[in-house]
Amino acid sequence: MLPALANIPTGADYAALLPAFVVAVTPLLILFVDLFYRESGPWRRVVAVGLALVWLIVAGALQAGQYPHDYVAFGGAFVQGGFSIVLSEIVIVATIATLLLSIGVGRDDQVAGTTSLLLWSASGAMLMSGASNLMTVFLGLELLSLALYCLCAMSTRRTARESALKYLILSSMASGFLLYGSALLFGATGSVAFAALASATVTPLLALGAGLFMVGLAFKLSLVPFHAWTPDVYEGAPLPVTAFMSIVTKAGTLAVLARFAYAALPSEHRAAVLLPLWVLAALSMLVGNLAALAQTDMKRLLAYSGIAQVGYIVTAFAGTSALGLRYAILYLAGYTFMNLGAFAVVALMARDGDAIVGLPRFAGLAARRPWLAAAMTLFLIGLAGLPPTIGFTAKILILTTTLGAGYAWLAGTLILGTAISAYVYLKIVRAMFARVDAAHVRDERSPNVLPWVAVAVCAVATVVLGLQPLTPSNILPLVK
Amino acid sequence: MTVTALVLGPLVIGLLLYLVPREHGGIARLVAVAVGAISFGLALYDPAAGDASVRWLSRPFAASFHLGFGPVSYWIVVLLALATFGAALAVTGPRSRALAAQLLILQGAMNGVFLAKDLLLFALFWDLMLIPVFLVLVEFAPHGRTAWKYLIYNLAGGLALLLATAAFGYLATTTDVIGKSLPAGTIGSVWGAWIFAGFAFAFLIKTPVFPFHTWMPETYAELPAPMVAVVSAVQSKAGLYGFLIVGLPFLAPEMARAQTLMFALGAIALIYGALASLVERDAKRVVAYSSLSHLGLIVLAVFSGSNLAIAGAVVYIVAHGLFSAVLFLALGAVEQREETRDLARLGGLGARNPKLAGALMLGALAALGLPGLAGFSGEILILTGLYRAGFVWPALVALVAVVLASAYMLRLFQGIMNGPEVPDLPERRDMTWTEALAIAPLVAGFVLLGINPAPLVARAAALAQPAPPALVSVRAVPEDSHAAGAR
Repeated sequence: MLPALANIPTGADYAALLPAFVVAVTPLLILFVDLFYRESGPWRRVVAVGLALVWLIVAGALQAGQYPHDYVAFGGAFVQGGFSIVLSEIVIVATIATLLLSIGVGRDDQVAGTTSLLLWSASGAMLMSGASNLMTVFLGLELLSLALYCLCAMSTRRTARESALKYLILSSMASGFLLYGSALLFGATGSVAFAALASATVTPLLALGAGLFMVGLAFKLSLVPFHAWTPDVYEGAPLPVTAFMSIVTKAGTLAVLARFAYAALPSEHRAAVLLPLWVLAALSMLVGNLAALAQTDMKRLLAYSGIAQVGYIVTAFAGTSALGLRYAILYLAGYTFMNLGAFAVVALMARDGDAIVGLPRFAGLAARRPWLAAAMTLFLIGLAGLPPTIGFTAKILILTTTLGAGYAWLAGTLILGTAISAYVYLKIVRAMFARVDAAHVRDERSPNVLPWVAVAVCAVATVVLGLQPLTPSNILPLVK
Repeated sequence: MTVTALVLGPLVIGLLLYLVPREHGGIARLVAVAVGAISFGLALYDPAAGDASVRWLSRPFAASFHLGFGPVSYWIVVLLALATFGAALAVTGPRSRALAAQLLILQGAMNGVFLAKDLLLFALFWDLMLIPVFLVLVEFAPHGRTAWKYLIYNLAGGLALLLATAAFGYLATTTDVIGKSLPAGTIGSVWGAWIFAGFAFAFLIKTPVFPFHTWMPETYAELPAPMVAVVSAVQSKAGLYGFLIVGLPFLAPEMARAQTLMFALGAIALIYGALASLVERDAKRVVAYSSLSHLGLIVLAVFSGSNLAIAGAVVYIVAHGLFSAVLFLALGAVEQREETRDLARLGGLGARNPKLAGALMLGALAALGLPGLAGFSGEILILTGLYRAGFVWPALVALVAVVLASAYMLRLFQGIMNGPEVPDLPERRDMTWTEALAIAPLVAGFVLLGINPAPLVARAAALAQPAPPALVSVRAVPEDSHAAGAR
């Protein structure tokens, strides 16, 4: 075969991208169908969300069918394997849960639009999960982010616009960092492929590029000190969008970070270049949990909690061991279920599925709505790392690999952060089980019962994963 | 099968009790009583039950859901079944359902702690047993901060335990080790010190031992009587049990090195607890501080390295469980009648409540170490063991505390039962048969154990079998012999 022809994409290359492609094309179908509605009605909503759910499940099945295969598509631009597939599945699960939460939110005539944006955003994250050169990374990231800017503004609340604008400006800045870093990396090595970076000699240009690239990722991941935007954006955005953001941006960005940390740095300098990242993780675990102590609004609380939880996940990368990566994915999967479950409970407590839910609303919930309180207790003790949940199991796995890699200080910080977080989460448990005068508590219920599906699935997954922690086996190699 | 049922049965039934309508607390209570009785019967019927094991993790270290009876744990499980039975019978009031359910969940979680043969599983149940106590404190304690204090102290311990378990698992490549022994040098002295520090921190908080005891008097005072009977009888033994099954076999050099410090802490707890019991006015706090004192004695025994003292520790662990449950259940009955626990207010209750006075008297006598009751068997073994091993001063300190025990236990009894009747306190009828039924098996237990502690001593001797270096003599192990194994 002629060398030049090796780069011509084949059917197998496209097959690797098919699930992401399905998710990206479904919105066209949804928007097309929506054109035929003259007036608003619940049907319009059901059809849009129903189509999205069906095609997401198809994409998830397609993705799962490819599980055992490693395939390097498009000359190394997209690497498919256990790693990317599990992360894509996490994105799909989170998107499905978001759709279940979003049924009652927003105007009927907007639903097709919001659903489409959600799917485009998800397809961006799916692209990021396999992206292994700088251009695919940027493409996926922008697809993810641009749709999210619009979604954040999709609420009648006044703070929504503010939230969206803030997100737009800060996130664009982060993209700027990332892009500038990418440009420098390209300048230093003459290649956009992660694989080429691993064999490059370290020059100041390369180090600066790597630094800027990581700053950009840290912004998107909201690692401390790049976290300030997160609580405000989470608070202003509609509840389902917040739930979506809390998982999908993390999944996509963590995929890029993992590839970069594990495969795109010369191995002899890896520990030194990545040291700032571990410091950021440690700061996130402490600052995130400390700041969460003072929160009284559920969305803000979960935002700060998410900052700390990302810290736990990044801690698993320390020492860049293969096991660490598997446990990071496991923790992310567990966090997906615990966090989405908590958001679903919050959604069930608001009449329109999108009100501000403050902590006082949880007072005495166990007496009024015992099932909801029981589920919320499970999610919260999971987030706090208590048994019998995946939060406990994944945390001890991360601790072991971190200790084994010689990062005892990071393991100690993780324990300290967990200790602080116990107060954050159990404060809510306490409120739910305390005796209160029911007359003083506003008891709102969402007419939408679909979040119950999310609650049930997440509760079961939280416990089952904790007892049987499945991790993807074929995660390496990450790049070629 | 038996061991699995002992753990999962109470946990699942406890959760299911929440399906009983709230107003039918009586049904929930009956179910809890039945579960306590059945667990007791099951443990007695099948003492040689085989282990149950299911693989949990294979990397980064091997771990299993491995449950089984061990030399010490068998009797603690029997004790827990009795305590749960008595506590469930004593459940009353408008929120019986929640209390009965949480009692069962606590029983299941604690059975898990004591039956776990895997260190990671031990850590799992260790954290799990916090939750029912926390939830009961949230629902029942008059002060909100008690629940937090309990949780923060014990969770800090639990997290230290988790970190130590992770390090242990990394070094030993398995946590399925309880009741087995590791090749010498697996842990090494550098890691060993840290791992021991993590475990010891958790165990000392849970017991509790001075200076980590401050959560205890409040928690004991504010928990409802049935729950505190179980917590004081069994949960407080988890730390001591941990020293016996983790410290002695795997961290013997570190145990030996920490001996002086632990003797000091144990002795302070002994004396301080006794003195505080002499002056506290709240009856429940008197018993709480007396526990601090008694458990300090067990700490001395565990760290002495003497076989005799350790056998005494095992006897005393069970004995203390039996009589402290009796004391707290009797005090619960007193509080129900008089609506106060203040020793300055109470008085003369014995005149019209002779049966209740008898129950409290029996508990107090066992606690002060009357020969013929279980407290005495444990104490005499520990004191003799300490003395024989050459620890004269610790033995003397312990002796002083044992003498003080008579003073504060009699003060407690006299303050409540003797003296002139207090006219402005309510007058209610004497002990009902359910209350008597709750206390009777525990009393029978400490009488039998007082007459014949041999079954426990025999079991304690078995404790020495799997890990010879630990019990031959902890002190004989040269400090640097493990240094070579450091990683």
